[in-house]
Amino acid sequence: MVVYNLYIFNRNGQCLFYREWLRRRPGTMTQEEEFKLMNGFMHSIKSFVQRLSPQDLKDGFVSFKTNCYKLNYYETATGLKFVLNTDNNVGNIRDILHQLYSTIFVNYIVKNPSCSATDIINTEQEIFIEKLDEFISNLSIFAQTNKA
Amino acid sequence: MSRTNVKQNLDARRVTQELFTLTYGAFVAQILNDYEHVDEVNKQLDKIGYNIGVRLIDDFLARNPNVGRCHDLRETADVLAKQGFKTYLGISPSITNWSPAGDEFSLLLDGNPLTEFVELPEGQGQKLSYNQMICGAIRGALEMVQLEVECRFVQDQLKGDNATELRVKFLKKLEDALPVGED
Amino acid sequence: MVVHSFYVINRSGGLIFSDEHFIPKIELEKTFSYPLDFVLKQGQKGVNVEFGQRDGIKVGHTILSINGVPVQGNFIDFSAPSTTANDDDQQISTSTSHDIISYLSDSTNYPVTIKFGRTRLNSNEKLILASMFHSMYAIACQLSPELNSSGIRELETDQFKLYCFQSITGIKFVALTDTRQANVDALLKRTYELYSDYALKNPFYSIDQPIWCPLFRQTVQQAMDLLEKTGSPYT
Repeated sequence: MVVYNLYIFNRNGQCLFYREWLRRRPGTMTQEEEFKLMNGFMHSIKSFVQRLSPQDLKDGFVSFKTNCYKLNYYETATGLKFVLNTDNNVGNIRDILHQLYSTIFVNYIVKNPSCSATDIINTEQEIFIEKLDEFISNLSIFAQTNKA
Repeated sequence: MSRTNVKQNLDARRVTQELFTLTYGAFVAQILNDYEHVDEVNKQLDKIGYNIGVRLIDDFLARNPNVGRCHDLRETADVLAKQGFKTYLGISPSITNWSPAGDEFSLLLDGNPLTEFVELPEGQGQKLSYNQMICGAIRGALEMVQLEVECRFVQDQLKGDNATELRVKFLKKLEDALPVGED
Repeated sequence: MVVHSFYVINRSGGLIFSDEHFIPKIELEKTFSYPLDFVLKQGQKGVNVEFGQRDGIKVGHTILSINGVPVQGNFIDFSAPSTTANDDDQQISTSTSHDIISYLSDSTNYPVTIKFGRTRLNSNEKLILASMFHSMYAIACQLSPELNSSGIRELETDQFKLYCFQSITGIKFVALTDTRQANVDALLKRTYELYSDYALKNPFYSIDQPIWCPLFRQTVQQAMDLLEKTGSPYT
């Protein structure tokens, strides 16, 4: 199993943070454009799912799969959006994403007096990045392929 | 039109070959009567084949889920001869005469069910490309999977040639028509 | 296990077939006294609950009828003979009709019986959603971290799953199911076969146009029934 990359967006659609552990397809656009597209994409999927659903939704959109990757989505009540791409063998990782939010993001960004939860996380936030890397690489879904 | 037993309809796939051959024959004879020029008849047969091909390809793909998109003309030729012809005409033509560039090949048809009882009439009729529908069908089917080809008969046993040879030439890949999100 | 609905989308993103197999009816009727403890909002399809969730009436539900009279979009007309439910949006305002929100904020109209529920998709919305999915399908490959990704094959929410199969010729077959329904891929393969039989082989069907063929609908429905009952779309 593989973890590819992570996007964190704030409620205004700004990409606060991006990190990749593995990426085989080079970007066809600038990073800024990619963030915009991804955010817009999540927005469309959410509204699509909301309108299409035959029943009342609770969490709404959870994930989608293509033939080679799986996009996992988690949104907090405050409008933070976490997008984690993994391979298809990964099951429902909502709990993991929630944990990522509650233990890593809240502890090292929200509670950190030197940065704000609505601003772009710059590379100076070394503890956050370090803890995030540690969290991801300790996941059972982060397997050999990533480490190689 | 309520057909209660749809399942049975599906199984009734086979009609006798004679009926098919006679139907096609009667049909070609009729349009030969209707049009003044044999060239026009050939064109019409090609068009009809094309319209069949663009539909038949989905039938073929739906029933052969193991056949994927071809990325090489040799692959295409193989699927066409060994599976396409086999499924729909019950024959397996041999693939020969590859051009050096590998963009053109021939299919040699042996025992074509369409022409079993056919002899071309004298005069104008000798110019008739009786099997032209097959060319159209191949062109139509391949166009739907984004391959533009040219297809024609270069030899025809009906016209006294030794063999019936169908030449397929690759023209281009229709990139624009490629469905997005294909793997 | 349930298959909710099934759609076919052509290569330019147009919806050419849709069948609602099983859509649960979510409707609740209750009598209220003044004041109403919902925050209501005018929407495209009528008046929606924006805030204030109780007794099974949820945010997002729409007012379907008042005192047994069906609403017409954002309006209600008690004098007009109740028209049969129309598939399309009705936003008719006549001299005898009332704006629902102002009607409900008038205490003299109480007690009032209101029916809330989820509205069905109308044909226009389905067309919009189909073309939306068509572009989402393409964006999923553009944003792939991995090389040569296909588009969306399976989309999961907490209430339903959407499965999509795209043929090499570019036709998309889409099924909406509950989260437990298995073997949906087999259903999509089966519907591809049915499409090639009952649509494409029908000489009067034109390619890329809406599929009107009754036999196609009939056999697709059979396949969905079979999948639900036996776990396989084939007899």
